[in-house]
Amino acid sequence: MDMDHRPRTRLLSLVTIGTLFLGTSACGGGGGSGSAGRQSGDLVVAVATEPSTLDPQLVNDRSSRIVTDNLFETLLVRDETSQIQPKLADKYERVDDTTWRFTLHPGVTFHDGSPFDADAVVFSIERIIDPDFDTQRTSYTEGIEGARKVDPRTVDILTDGKNPVLPAEMTSIPMVSPASAGQQSFGHEVIVGTGPYKFGTWQRGREISLVRNDAYWGEKASIAAFTVRVVPDAQTALSALQAGEVDLVFDLFPEQAKLAPQVKEIRASDFSYVAFNTHRKELSDPRVRQAMNLAVDKESLAETIYQGHATPNQAQHLAKGMLGFNASLSPFPYDPEQAKRLLAEAGYPNGFDIELHVPIGRYSKGEETADFVAAALGAVGVRAKVVKHDWNDYRELGRVKGTESGAFDLKYGWNSNEWFDAARIKSHITCKGASSKFCDPKVDELVKAGADTLDQAERQRDYADMWARLHENPYSIYLLQQNYIFGASQRLEWNPRPDDSYFVSTMRLTS
Amino acid sequence: MTTTQVPAPTPVPSPAATGRTRRSWLRSPLGRLVLRRLRDAVIVQFLVVAVIFVIGYYVGDPVSAFASPEATEEQLAQLRRSLGLDQPFWVQFGRYLEDLARLDVGTSVWQQRPAMEAVWEVIGNTVLLAILGAVAATVFGVVGGVLAGTRPGSAVDKVINLISVLSLSVASFWIGLLLIIVFAVRLNMVPTSGWYEWRGLILPVATLGFIHGGRICQVTRSVVLDEMSKAYVLVARSRGLPYRRLVAGHVLRNVAATVLTTAGWEFARMFGGSIYPIEVVFAWPGLGPLMTTAAHRHDFPIVEAAVLITGALVILVNLAVDVASHLLDRRLRPE
Repeated sequence: MDMDHRPRTRLLSLVTIGTLFLGTSACGGGGGSGSAGRQSGDLVVAVATEPSTLDPQLVNDRSSRIVTDNLFETLLVRDETSQIQPKLADKYERVDDTTWRFTLHPGVTFHDGSPFDADAVVFSIERIIDPDFDTQRTSYTEGIEGARKVDPRTVDILTDGKNPVLPAEMTSIPMVSPASAGQQSFGHEVIVGTGPYKFGTWQRGREISLVRNDAYWGEKASIAAFTVRVVPDAQTALSALQAGEVDLVFDLFPEQAKLAPQVKEIRASDFSYVAFNTHRKELSDPRVRQAMNLAVDKESLAETIYQGHATPNQAQHLAKGMLGFNASLSPFPYDPEQAKRLLAEAGYPNGFDIELHVPIGRYSKGEETADFVAAALGAVGVRAKVVKHDWNDYRELGRVKGTESGAFDLKYGWNSNEWFDAARIKSHITCKGASSKFCDPKVDELVKAGADTLDQAERQRDYADMWARLHENPYSIYLLQQNYIFGASQRLEWNPRPDDSYFVSTMRLTS
Repeated sequence: MTTTQVPAPTPVPSPAATGRTRRSWLRSPLGRLVLRRLRDAVIVQFLVVAVIFVIGYYVGDPVSAFASPEATEEQLAQLRRSLGLDQPFWVQFGRYLEDLARLDVGTSVWQQRPAMEAVWEVIGNTVLLAILGAVAATVFGVVGGVLAGTRPGSAVDKVINLISVLSLSVASFWIGLLLIIVFAVRLNMVPTSGWYEWRGLILPVATLGFIHGGRICQVTRSVVLDEMSKAYVLVARSRGLPYRRLVAGHVLRNVAATVLTTAGWEFARMFGGSIYPIEVVFAWPGLGPLMTTAAHRHDFPIVEAAVLITGALVILVNLAVDVASHLLDRRLRPE
């Protein structure tokens, strides 16, 4: 292609070497129309890492989700407003405290031709909950005991005890074909679901391609085919977007956003925090923890480090529309004077020394945020030293119990609430929670009350009360609700979703 | 390099004159050199293998990573026995060599297939990029070095010197990103990254050529300068030998071995590490992205396979350079 291009290329190279250093200051985002921008009618998505497998029951990272979300489907699904709606199941009802009955959509077939029926659901559920299977989607299999066929179109899903989040879990357990998923090559060469796209090819290290499933049972997709390219370097991915080679790039840095032809953004269910070890003497006093919440200017953190791509959360790891959200709470105001008074009242007029732990390269702007928080705490007398760990050390050391030596006194992290339900936070705030360094019997009581009923209104009240209690007696410094930032080409029409799903069938390409 | 006589054209012994057989070829100086280098290569490769094994043996406990956190001491011991990890060091090492002889370094945890297979699949892309990069670096280095070395102190010399210093001092990924922004995004002449058409080669090859050409350029300049001051050059010029023929026919031939050694060293250095970040920047489907991801995912078999193979590549390149230098310069010939 472009035979006429070569002489010009040579001449231009000479000219541009001279202007190399001037070039970078000119305006950005002009790509897309030139001959090297090889856009066709197909969608191209860039991901930073290659998926390890495309077995959707095994993995759950974003670079595999962009593929598997389109090949596989679930019994239920969240709509754009995150409400749970039917998908492969037409309806569901609760039979008793531990049994949920799903009625399946008729006439659905897998890409391999086998029918999607009760046997397939039972197979899929049994497969993913098998502890030897070792799924990454454990947060969606909690409390599920098994599945039972009632008739070809009806399945009972059984839970161990009351499981109020079962419908939420069913939005993320992909249904696989029993005829195919038993094969050794499933997830690598054989990838068979019921979704609006079918697996095409997987060229290792390069790209994965999918084509529209013209026999799809629901509304057909508008985009005929799409490829997912592996582009490990974030700057290169942005360049590929600017040059019009790709249409969608995940996880832009805040400072990259203004360079993208189009920015797509959504408030994610990710909430950043600095958790306290309340077993440490200074931090056992709620006044000290309130003071530390007052000391941090969340607004300016969101405006400077995140350049507006995040918002202070309402002093809870939930947002409007999620179960257990307490609308009457608001972020702790930025009030360093009040913080100093509270510290003095608690007996620390001269502050104290403490360490703040943060993982390297895990959370967007995590290290910068830790530095920001440390400086803010320093201004009211709490001298926080930032300690950085690689992710594995951070995870391991983070598990050390609050009462043991070596425990993190302050730990920066993000809480991802994939259930959109306050029940998800349990392990961080209960006395016996796996990641908890906090203990308040009143909170434990409310958590238990919320887990012990299937009445959603009752649960909403319990969890709202829980957040109110966690406001008086904070378990963490409540920081921000983070945004997902995507770079998109001019021609892409798509609204990102808070549940981190990627349905290409809802995307459109103009021109 | 203080010889002052004009070297006579070097006579190559004709095969017919020596009446060589395969055996006598091995006894020839070149044959002996190759044999000796092969022996060294085997020793070095063995050391690479041994170092990898020792690191794997002492760093981290595979059993505790493998077993569930609730496993009891007996279960751990049982697992250790079944994996052969309770055997003495030398027994384990022997078994490791045995597997290695079958090119088996284990199964990739990440890709769920033999690690060697995953590495084998992409190695060709890396070698291709490295060869083209080495060619580009050599062309840049030799042309620049000869231009500068034959015109010491001139403006050309100064500019070339500046470029070669830049080439040695700036970060390679930065040059790569800069080239992407200028030639792919702004001028839209080549693709930014990936390998979907031949033009995808242009930027990574240019980047490799630039960052590896600097040293070749400086070495070439210095040996050319040295050579130009020799008496035979003066004699040849005074006899009216055209300048171009002098440089191309005599000077270049005499500096060829030195330049080639430098170029070979740069080529080996690519496999030793410099090519991988460039592959990552350009999303090139080679060893770089594979190793980076494998390391992130703690996939030791792939990292191990990659290290073994790159070790072998470096050794092979060095061997090839030795042989080529020998053929080019008889002074290097072992007595």
